[in-house]
Order: sequence, then structure tokens, then C-alpha cells
Amino acid sequence: MGKKKKVILPPQLPPDIPDEEIEVSEEDLDFVNKNIEYAGFLSKLDANLINRHVTRVADYKEDELEALYEKKKRKASLKKSKEEGLQVDRVDALPIKTLEGELCYRTVEESKIAHKESGSASEVKDTDSDKGLVKLTKAERRQKLKKSKKEAKRKAKEEVKETVAEGGLHSDVLAKVEEDLSAQDLFARKKIKLAEVGMALLEDPESNIKSLKELLHICIDEDHNIIKLGLMSLLAVFKDIIPGYRIRLPTEKELEMKVSKDVQKTRFYESTLLNSYKAYLLKLMAFEKDPSFHCIAVRCMCILLDAVPHFNFRENLVAAVVRNISSSDDVVRKLCCETIRSVFTNEGKHGGQVNFEAVRLIAELVKAHDCQLHPDSIEVFLSLVFDEDLGKSEPKEEKKEKLSKKKKRKQHLEQSNQLLVSEGKRRKHELMTKTREELSADLKSVSFAPDSDERRRTQSEILSAVFGTYFRILKHCMNTSFQRPMLNDISSSIGLVHHPLLGPCLLGLGKFSHLIDLDFMGDLMHCLKKLAGHSDSDNDNPSVSLTVSEKLQCCIVAFRVMRNNLDALNVDLQEFFVQLYNLLLEYRPFRDRGDVLAEALKTMLWEGKQHDMHRAAAFVKRLATFALSFGSAEGMAALVTLKHLLLRNSKCRNLLENDPGGGSLSGLVVKYKADATDPHLSGALASVLWELSLLSKHYNPSISGMASSISSKRGSEFVIIDAEKVRSLESEMDEDVIERKFEEHFIVLRDIEENEKLRLELNKTSSALRLYEEYKQQRKLKQKRKQKKQNGG
Amino acid sequence: MRPLDEKETTAVFEKLFKFTGPNLKHIVERLATEGPDEAPGRYCFRLHKNRVYYASESIIRRATNISRDRLVSIGTCIGKYTNSGFFRLTIQSLDLLAAHARHKVWLKPTAELSFLYGNAVLKGGLARITDNTHAGDGVVVYSMSDVPLGFGVAARSTQDCRKADANAIVVNHQADVGEYLRNEEEL
Repeated sequence: MGKKKKVILPPQLPPDIPDEEIEVSEEDLDFVNKNIEYAGFLSKLDANLINRHVTRVADYKEDELEALYEKKKRKASLKKSKEEGLQVDRVDALPIKTLEGELCYRTVEESKIAHKESGSASEVKDTDSDKGLVKLTKAERRQKLKKSKKEAKRKAKEEVKETVAEGGLHSDVLAKVEEDLSAQDLFARKKIKLAEVGMALLEDPESNIKSLKELLHICIDEDHNIIKLGLMSLLAVFKDIIPGYRIRLPTEKELEMKVSKDVQKTRFYESTLLNSYKAYLLKLMAFEKDPSFHCIAVRCMCILLDAVPHFNFRENLVAAVVRNISSSDDVVRKLCCETIRSVFTNEGKHGGQVNFEAVRLIAELVKAHDCQLHPDSIEVFLSLVFDEDLGKSEPKEEKKEKLSKKKKRKQHLEQSNQLLVSEGKRRKHELMTKTREELSADLKSVSFAPDSDERRRTQSEILSAVFGTYFRILKHCMNTSFQRPMLNDISSSIGLVHHPLLGPCLLGLGKFSHLIDLDFMGDLMHCLKKLAGHSDSDNDNPSVSLTVSEKLQCCIVAFRVMRNNLDALNVDLQEFFVQLYNLLLEYRPFRDRGDVLAEALKTMLWEGKQHDMHRAAAFVKRLATFALSFGSAEGMAALVTLKHLLLRNSKCRNLLENDPGGGSLSGLVVKYKADATDPHLSGALASVLWELSLLSKHYNPSISGMASSISSKRGSEFVIIDAEKVRSLESEMDEDVIERKFEEHFIVLRDIEENEKLRLELNKTSSALRLYEEYKQQRKLKQKRKQKKQNGG
Repeated sequence: MRPLDEKETTAVFEKLFKFTGPNLKHIVERLATEGPDEAPGRYCFRLHKNRVYYASESIIRRATNISRDRLVSIGTCIGKYTNSGFFRLTIQSLDLLAAHARHKVWLKPTAELSFLYGNAVLKGGLARITDNTHAGDGVVVYSMSDVPLGFGVAARSTQDCRKADANAIVVNHQADVGEYLRNEEEL
């Protein structure tokens, strides 16, 4: 940055006064004498050190310092002379106090000195404002540019003057200063140039299109700041002047043709624009590899892609942005993701082609990086929008067209039959229709909006790419999670394989589940099942790599997919239920996410239409156990689900009866096995829900109320409770009741504590009293002794 | 009455495995609940007069007291050898299969009667089907109120079921509880 290092010079010292002249009053002397111990620091002071720090600027070289002082002095003298020289009409206006505390008098001329002072400050401001250019509106920008130009010019003049005036006193210092100044000067000049050219371009792009090359030329510079500024200003210019259509360069055949002046002009304009745009993009791509320019290059490309996704070379832009989408730099990644997202949502800008391009590139990226990317890069898929009506409305229209064509043909035939005689007329008619068709075809090709047929095709391509990516991620997760235990058996229990993309992938599958092709479904279910931890044979090690939450998410997604696709056939996802049954045991409240568990319970047990009697009973039993062993939130979720299950399955209410055994319903398993992995074989119907009676003594009133309400209602007494009520129950926590309960529990403890405190205080006071007594006695003794001595003496 | 030889055992287990999959282990290792013995024994398979019985050890031990020609049945009959030497599961094995089945099919109430008369299950009568069923798997057929009605062999997988039309056969009939009436004398 062009910031001049400001050296803070020490303030002028008060005039030296010899020691003899200082009068010291007697009061002062008295004071010092009284507080002699506080004055000790005075003797330790190092006068030299103080002098150095006060009179000199610390850490600066002597000669540099001297130069600075000289400069300052000169400035002051200059000011003085000017002030003297100018006829200041002091009565006319009040002086202005600047920030530095100097008084400025309004003079007849505009004082140049004031500008000089503000020159360095404005320079800093300048660079800042240039940086923020992109966000400013055009009008603001113009003003800023003009202002900065003026100021910079003035400053340049002055600086030249200054250098001339300085005259070779200290030649080496001067050279240095000059160098510095010239660099600054150059910088300022370049900036002005940039601003001028940019302004001209914006004002009249048609006539000034050539200056784009000039701008590009400026960007080849040694100074990084200039390059950055150049890139940014070019970005602003391009963003503004790029037309709303795609430029197609004229073919050679077209070039040969003679055209009017206007057409030639536009052609020239377009070709220059395109060429310079290409050059600019190339430059950006080159800078992208340079670590010092990486950020700004990516930012430029993102803004360009966001602003002009319809224009030429967008493929390269998309490619560059996608390349950085999983960058380790947070800022760059966020920027890229935002851009891609906005491209996905603003499909109208480019007609869907860029969507496909981006999705394809991301898919390739995932493939190339072996699914080890930042989850953000897949999360952008979630903002894709698919038009579901596209596929449905089309065939009807086609039919209509066909019908109308048939009608036309019929009419045509009739007409021809009628007009068989007049051949000439018929020919004319044919010619007319032919030309009309050609015209409509031309219109179609010219018009920007692609027809729905094409849109449908691109959409299906996008879909297949997205799902391809998702499947790749799933397969990858599966492979790694199943290879791991084999590769290193010892560390398999410890070494968790990280799947960064699985979360967003599952989310996406859940969101787009209604669009999955039925053929894919089998594979998808198979993958999810494997990921959820299902193993075909019992000797297989269950995969350890996925966390419980991830497994639960797999189950949820499987259910969503099934529910969204299956209106006709009701498929029972038995394996997933088995997984859920086992995962309930593996759940730990602080390690795993409770909301996922609640979601799983809801999607799998609430919304499922029917359940096997045995399975429902097993779940009821396990949920009751679960509620007993975890906190109130998990317990509530489990209890609500349990209640729901009991409402749905009348036969499971046998669990609420007091006699174990289950009678004829219990099936082949006569005794309840709490550790069975298959809910069908657990024999839960043979058990009794004794957990509920324990839960009805839970400290949380809502849970205890819930449990007692479940256990008290039997058989036909069950009434359906709406979910709202349950939710409100869940949310409301009667603090008072809890407090009262806790109070009862802890009242004894508190009493004990208070007693101890009181006892301690008592002890303290009594010991203090005792000490005082002793002290008194001893004092008396001493006094007596003294008296005796005096008497004796 | 004698234990099954190796060939017979594989035949029986193969049939059972079609229906139960890995749950076959539970069938074999189940602890017996019948008989007066203190220590519960295991269940075992016995062949008697071309029929295969599934009975607890204690019952089998007691059954040895009865002469071969007088013994009609022990435990549960789960299947029989046909005259041509093939093993077939009979309807009596339904309880055992239902408890350990992997693939299930639920029938709509309207389709129950047709199945109980010995007909195959059509797509139109299908209310629910277990996911991941493949063609050729053994399937236990249930009514909507979870009462096992019989069993059969899946004619098409769950995937194919979705696309099949209403008259397509989903499960080929093997045995149903209607046989208790229809073929009373054979059982």
C-alpha cells in the first residue's frame, strides 16, 4: 500500500531554564521532606534515557531523523512566510482548527498548505475507496474518481515543487526520499490513468472500446496494488458494458460480405470486447495460480460469473469457480459456493446450461478427489431447482400439436380436393406455409428462452449428474467403511473413517427423493442398508466407521425415499427397523445428535402406516427402557413414540397388563430377551412394561404425567391425543413443581449445612472472646508490674 | 424314527433357509420349552414314515418308548418326502416359519380368500411387501391383522413388483391354512 510511514515527532520541549532560576517555595520543600520515601524514584531516573526518548523519536536512525526535522522546520518556515506574505483578513472569517490542531485562516487564495496536509491522508483514503469501488453505484463512482483525480494531480504538483525546493543538502537521504516520492507519484499517476480510462469506457463504451487494451496493459505491472486495482476496475467495466446476449463472431463468409458502416462498427466493437474479455479471463486464470493474487482473481471470476453467466467463455469461468469450491481458504470457498448457488437459483439468466456445466464439473471434482472434499461443495446441490411439471405437461401439448396437425392435414386434404383444379393456387399456398415454417424455426433459434423440450433434456442430464455424484459418495463411504476393518483389525474400533460429504449427500437424497428413477431405487436402498450397518451374514463385523447419527440419517433417508415414491406399493423396510432397534442401544446423549434420533423415531415409527405386532411390541419395550436410562428430552421423545405405537397396535396393549407371558400372542419366544438384535425374536410380548411405573415417579412432571397417563389407560380407554397437545406438554416445564420436589429432597441436606455454618460462626466468636479476655488479663498484669517498678523506683 | 442323514439334513435346511435366511440358526439353537425336564434341551429334527418332525429332545427321548408302527406323530411335522424323493414343507411348519421369516407379504382382505383356496398371490391383492425380496425367496403370507395364512415362493422381486400390472403373480402358492380343511386326510 502506498501508506507513508508517519513518524511522530516529539513535541517541542519547554524552554530550558537554568536550575538557579527556579524558585522553590518552602511549602514544596516541606512536602518533599515529609514524604521522603515516595521521592525515592527520582534518584533512580536515568536522565539520558529520558532525554533520548523525549527529544528524539525512538528507534530511528540519526540522519533520517535529522532529515525529518529539517523537513518539518522547512514546512513551518514556508507556512510562516506564506502566512506573512498573504494578506489575511482575520476579521473576515473565523479560523478553522484542523485535526492536527493547527489554525487555518481563510485567505484570498485557497491555501495550498492545507491541501498538502490533507494530501497524505487522502492518498490513504483513495486506495480504500478504490477497493470498495465494486459496491458503489455508478454516479458515486464517477464522483469519487473525479475527486481523487483532482487531489492526486494537485498533490503531484506539490511534491514536485517540494523535491525541487529541497536542494541537495543530504544527497543520499534526498535520493531515498526522491525514490520514495517517485514511486508514490508513479502509483498515483497509474491510478489516475486507470480511473480516467475506466470513466471514459463507462461513459461511452462504443467509441472508447480500444482503451480496454490499455487497461489490460496497465495490469502488467510490478506493483501488486496496481495490478489489483487494475483487475478490479476492469471487472467493474466488464460488468457494466457486457451486453445481454452472447457475441457470435462473424464467419469468414460474413466478413467478405459488404456491410454498412454501422454494422462494421458494431462488429469491431464486439470483436474487441470479446478479445479483451478473453485476455482478461486468461490473466485472471494466470493470477489464480499466484498465491498473492489468488483471492482477488477468484473474487473477480465469481462476480463475473454471477453477473454475466450468459456471456461467452462462461465454461471457463464455471470451471475456475468450481475448481476453488472446496478450497481450504474459508473466504474463497464461501465466495465460490455462494456464486454457484446464485447461478443455480437464477436459472433464468442463462437458461439452465450453466447449471448443467457446474453440476458436471462438481461431479468430476468429486470423482477426482475421491470424495474427500469440503461438505460445502456438495451442499450447493441443495439449491438446485427442478421443475416437476415439465415432464408432465409436455406430452399433452405434443398430442395437441399432433391433433392440430392432423386437423390441418385434413383441412389441407379437403382444400386440395376442392382446389384440385387450380394448381397454381395450391403451389402458392404451399410456398406460403413453407416460408412460414422457416420463419418460425428461425424465431425459435433466435429467441433466448429455450423451448421446454430442451429444458427437459438439460434437467434430466443435471439430475443424472447429481444422483451420479450422490451414488459415488455413498459407494465410496461403503467401500472405505467395509475395507477398513479388514485392513487393520486392531485399530478398526478406534480409527473412524471420516466421510465429509455423506451428510450433505444424504440431505440432498432426502430432498430430491421424489425425482429418483425407480431403477436406481434398488441400488440406493442396498447402499443405504449397508451404510446403516446391516450385514448379510452374522459373522460380518458391523461397520464401525459411521457414527450413530449418520446411521440414523441413512435410515431416515431410506424412509423418505420410500414414502415419496411409493403410492402404489407399500414396502416394508424391515432391515431398517432392525437397524433402528439396535441403534437405540448405541445412542449416547452427548455424543450423538438428539434431534436426528427424534427425527428417526418420527419418520420411522410415527408415520409408517402399519407395523408388525411383534415388531411394535419390541419397539415399545425398548423405547420404555430407553426412556428410563436417558435424560428428560430423550425420554419424552421415546414416551411420545411409545404412546403412539400403543395407540396404533391394540394387541400391544397386553404389555400394560400385569401378567407376564403374553399368552397365545407371544409366539415361539416365550421369554423376553432384552439383548436380541432382531425385534421379531425378542419376545417382547411376553414382558410387562414395568418401566412405566418407574417413569411415573420421574422428577420431570411432564414425563411422569405422560407415563402415568399411558399406564393408567388400558384397552378401549385409549383416545387419540393430537400432536399439538403432546408438543405443548413437552415444552411446558412446570418449574415450581420441580422446585418443590427438589426442595423436599434437599431440605435435609440444607439444614445440615446451615447448622454447620452456624456452629462455625459460634466457634469463631467464642474463640475471639476468649482471646480478648486473655489480652485484657495480660495487660492488667503488665500495668501492675509497671506500677510496682515505679513504686519500687 | 431316526435322525436325518446328511443328505436329508441339507435338503431340509436348504428349504428352511429359503424362508428364514440367517435366522435358521435360531431355529436350530432354540431352547426347548416343552417337556418336564429341568434343563431345557434343544430342538431336533427326526424322520418318521417319510415325514420330518421338529421336536424337543425330551419328547423324543420319551417317544422312543413307543414302537415304530404305533407312533403317529411327535412334536411338529414340518414337511415330508414325496414319493419321488423331494422334500416339501407342509402347512404345519407355518408357525415356525412365521416366527423367523425374513420376507413377508401382507394381503388385502379381499385377496385373502383367494389365497386360502390355493391360488397364487396377485399384485392386485398385495397390501405390503418386505423390501429387498428377490425372485425365488421364500415368503410368508400374512393377513392385514398379522395372522400368518401360508407361505410360497416370490415370483418377482420387490423392484419388479412396482412395475408389474395388477394381474401379475407375485407369490407362487406352496401351502396355506386352507389345507387343514381341504387335505385333512393327507396331513
